[in-house]
Amino acid sequence: MDRNDIKKWFKSPDKMGDKYSLWAIYFCTGCGIIEIPPVITARWDAERFGVIPVATPRQSNLFLITGYVSVKTLRAIIRTYEQMPEPKYTVGFGSCPINGGMYWDSYNTIKHLDKYIPIDGWIAGCMPRPEAIFVAVTHLWTLIDQGKAKAYVKYREKYGLYRKNQEMALGKLDWPPLYTTGGGND
Amino acid sequence: MVINILEIIISPVLAFIIGIFFMGLFRKITARLHWRYGPPVIQPFLDLIKLFHQQGFSHGPVFDLGIIMALAGSIVLILFIPFGGICPISNSGGLLVIIYIMLFAPLGIALSGGEAANPNISIGISRKLILALGYEVSFLLALLALMTYYNTISLVDIVEAQDNYKWALFSPLALSGIAYFIIMPAMLGIRPFDIAGAPQEISTGPAIEYGGKYLGLFNIWHALSMFVYIALFVDLFLGGGSNPLTFFIKMLVVFILLTFIHGVFPRFRIEQAIKYLWKWPVIISLSGLILITVIR
Amino acid sequence: MNLAQLILISLCGAFLTYLLGKASSRIRDTFAVFISLLLIIPLFCLYGKNEEITYYSFLGLPLILKITPLSWLFAIAVQTITSLSVIFSLSYMKGKERLDFYYLMLLLVNTGMLGIVLSADLISFYIFWEIMSWSTFLLISYNRGPALHAGMKYIVMSIIGSASMIIGILSLYVNCGSLDFVQIASFIPRTSSGYTLFILILFCITFGIKNAIAPFHTWLPDAHSEAPSPFSAVLSGVLIKMGTYGFILFMYTIAGLNIIINIGGGSFHYLISILAAITIIFPTFIAVLQDDAKRLLAWSSIAQVGYIILGIAIGTGLGFVGGVFHFFNHAAFKALLFLSVGAVEYRTGTRDLNSLGGLIKKMPITFFCALIGVFGLIGMPLTNGFVSKWLIYKALILGEHPFLAFIALFGTWGTIIYSYKLIHNIFLGQLPEKFSNVRKAPVTMRIPVIFLSLVVVVFGILPGIPLKIIDTISASFGFQPQDIQIWGIASETGVLNMVNIFAAIFAALIFVWLLFLMGRKKINIAQDDSYAAGAYVPKDKYNYTVDFYKPLSGMIKPYLRDFVDDFYLWLADVIRTFSDKTRKIYCGDLGYYISYIVLFLAVLIVLKMGLKIW
Repeated sequence: MDRNDIKKWFKSPDKMGDKYSLWAIYFCTGCGIIEIPPVITARWDAERFGVIPVATPRQSNLFLITGYVSVKTLRAIIRTYEQMPEPKYTVGFGSCPINGGMYWDSYNTIKHLDKYIPIDGWIAGCMPRPEAIFVAVTHLWTLIDQGKAKAYVKYREKYGLYRKNQEMALGKLDWPPLYTTGGGND
Repeated sequence: MVINILEIIISPVLAFIIGIFFMGLFRKITARLHWRYGPPVIQPFLDLIKLFHQQGFSHGPVFDLGIIMALAGSIVLILFIPFGGICPISNSGGLLVIIYIMLFAPLGIALSGGEAANPNISIGISRKLILALGYEVSFLLALLALMTYYNTISLVDIVEAQDNYKWALFSPLALSGIAYFIIMPAMLGIRPFDIAGAPQEISTGPAIEYGGKYLGLFNIWHALSMFVYIALFVDLFLGGGSNPLTFFIKMLVVFILLTFIHGVFPRFRIEQAIKYLWKWPVIISLSGLILITVIR
Repeated sequence: MNLAQLILISLCGAFLTYLLGKASSRIRDTFAVFISLLLIIPLFCLYGKNEEITYYSFLGLPLILKITPLSWLFAIAVQTITSLSVIFSLSYMKGKERLDFYYLMLLLVNTGMLGIVLSADLISFYIFWEIMSWSTFLLISYNRGPALHAGMKYIVMSIIGSASMIIGILSLYVNCGSLDFVQIASFIPRTSSGYTLFILILFCITFGIKNAIAPFHTWLPDAHSEAPSPFSAVLSGVLIKMGTYGFILFMYTIAGLNIIINIGGGSFHYLISILAAITIIFPTFIAVLQDDAKRLLAWSSIAQVGYIILGIAIGTGLGFVGGVFHFFNHAAFKALLFLSVGAVEYRTGTRDLNSLGGLIKKMPITFFCALIGVFGLIGMPLTNGFVSKWLIYKALILGEHPFLAFIALFGTWGTIIYSYKLIHNIFLGQLPEKFSNVRKAPVTMRIPVIFLSLVVVVFGILPGIPLKIIDTISASFGFQPQDIQIWGIASETGVLNMVNIFAAIFAALIFVWLLFLMGRKKINIAQDDSYAAGAYVPKDKYNYTVDFYKPLSGMIKPYLRDFVDDFYLWLADVIRTFSDKTRKIYCGDLGYYISYIVLFLAVLIVLKMGLKIW
């Protein structure tokens, strides 16, 4: 952890700020949220690393998708993701957002979340332990440092594609497109 | 003249540093009370760096203007409050002007939040204004007791009258001082009175739509208001300070006491808060004022 | 132009407007604006002059018009507010019926008010007072329906006031032999203090009713909310202040400072101050509970009048200057608010605070002007309301009335509560779908509003301009003159420097704005793109204006019933029942009437005989 490295702060305050002030929106999509209370309270205390839960997407820059994603929740996830200010990072938590997990044959669950919103990283497991969240956060730091955590840029560039996938899953969306630019081709 | 200009520049900067430090300390102490390790003390500053390069969303001109007005009001307020001998424009109206400049911040945030058109914001603002109505009774009674006792409306005169350890807290004004201290959590919006910005109920109330630099300005405002209310208490009841250092130490003591209150209490409902604020602090401060009018 | 001609032009102008209206409505409108604006010029020229004219003699009593600094200030305020109201009326009243009558009455009210402030004897004072009262009644009832009831309430109370005044006039005529203000003023110190108190109380009832001081305030909320909006501005801005003028006239011109302070062991002015404090605190919180924009403003008018009377009655120079200045300021910002609400009502057709919202997107200029008006009402620094309230508070604190000062200061927080409700529920929040086609207010509505908001701001930053004039007035009443500079007040007990404060706030605003620009560029988003826990909420479904202060109003409502109004209504009811019963003796049967006569004669004979026998 290079939080106390003053030189780095002067060199790239943007990156350092993003790294050490990750504000996660607490949004429980499924069972995974049960691992978050121990993470933010006395046992593991995520605030040590500047990670705190915030109440609204406008204030947050880290989106933890905790657990399986039903079609109904997907709508809210997309809405919340679009309301977050850039730069924003998303982490899929648990097996279900990755490939459906134990809900692989459910009619009402989204199998591959990254078809609908871009994901910076995954935490596999069912359930992952709280320590896994810290591993994910440290990994996210590395990605931010290397400039690889650019999923939000991808969303902007390929918005047409994402929007098409979203409409495929949800039917007609009742909110206007976020970006007018961004082609649909992969 | 040069010294005056220097003071005008220095005092907001000093207030900003102290306010941010207090915010960090606040989080740290609360964490330790919760048996956590807690963030580093400079964490609020790191958050500010992030917030200012994050994107912000604006709902319209008043959305921007309101938050700017709130922060500007707090900065002006700092210029009016003596900080251990540093007081650039104290002689422009005294305590009455201070009471009124205090209105800029809540009104600015209320206007800004109003344009964002979110019902949770409206509920938060409504709660904030009602809560202010609750604590303002004792606040005004305490200030009037001071102004009557020293027969002046100038804050500098009040501070000077308390020189040589003749603190107002250990004089007939003690009751007013106690009432002021009781309502201070409500003024700062910390527990048990963090009703207006309750994150779990109404998603931080007025700050819902603030993101990026808006939230940054909001946080700076919060830090400054923390500084202002505590500094006002120190000036009014603890005799100010002969130099900035003693002043800061007094502020620190008051602040840590307040943080302890924050750390251990749950949250009131708004009706409970009003009932509480209109009962005990008012009884204390009213008897304080009656005492002052009788002994004068 | 002398004063009699001024009044005559005003009077003839009113009737000429009526006649022109029969020919063409366009000419009538132009003429009404012309005549009301024209009169401002000679009034301005009268500044600092001490003109006096005896225009008529009645029963050997001279009828005198006279201009003093005090009446000059009131006359200017009256004429300005009326002209702005006439300009505003052009589009507001367009298409309504009986317009000739409306303009006639509006200009007659103006004449009445000008006459009141310019007259220098009680007979002319009474005549103009009645002209004003009756034309006001006709204007309040202009809209018919509930307005008739409001007007009736107003005129009944007004008549009680006039009756009280005429008793006072007759008593003074019998005892003093003259009704000239100068003669009365020289007579009062020679008479007993009991008689002085009697006269003062009689006139205080008259002026208290017009000024809507508790417990005489009950006519005002109905009248203000039912009258047409441009007239509400006149009503609240200057008309009820005629009572204030009367208070100042009787307390300081006629009775004099020494008598007021010492009469009844100093209890008289203290009693009025306490009444004023009651007038501040209860109406302020009743205003919080209102859902009708104009009714809210009406209650707020009562409360602000409390500040004015409090400042005047406290009996110090600082308080007097503050009170008179607050009269002037209240005329500006309350007229501004009534006109803004009128513009909103004109465009949306409603003034119900529960159904409006989001109009800032549609009427930005009206919003900003209303915001300035609200700031003045609250007394934010940089508006004129701040300076006058500061003066009043300071007078109260230094005069050792901490409890009155507390009520005045606490009333300010109540003011914030209802003013924010007004601004939020009309202009902020979400725009309901039905108002999506609202256009901005017409030019004739924007001009008066913009002018008044300029007045509010300019006199807030440079309060010395009007304060100098008011200070000469207060000095002429024997108060100690204040050290007034263009930027505020310089005195040894506390300096108010508005230019300093302005500079500080302006610099801080610039600094924060630069800080704001330093951050990453913002993105403008639509209003409905708002946090809703991940849901997308359609327009028009996400508004929170109904019952804005629910937790508070639930708590304070039981304590805020208008018991005085209930009592008056009960009294009216009793009198009506009693009169009904009395009327029954006129049954229309000749036999009964003859028996009444016979009975009466019998009683007379018995009495006569009784006297003779015993």
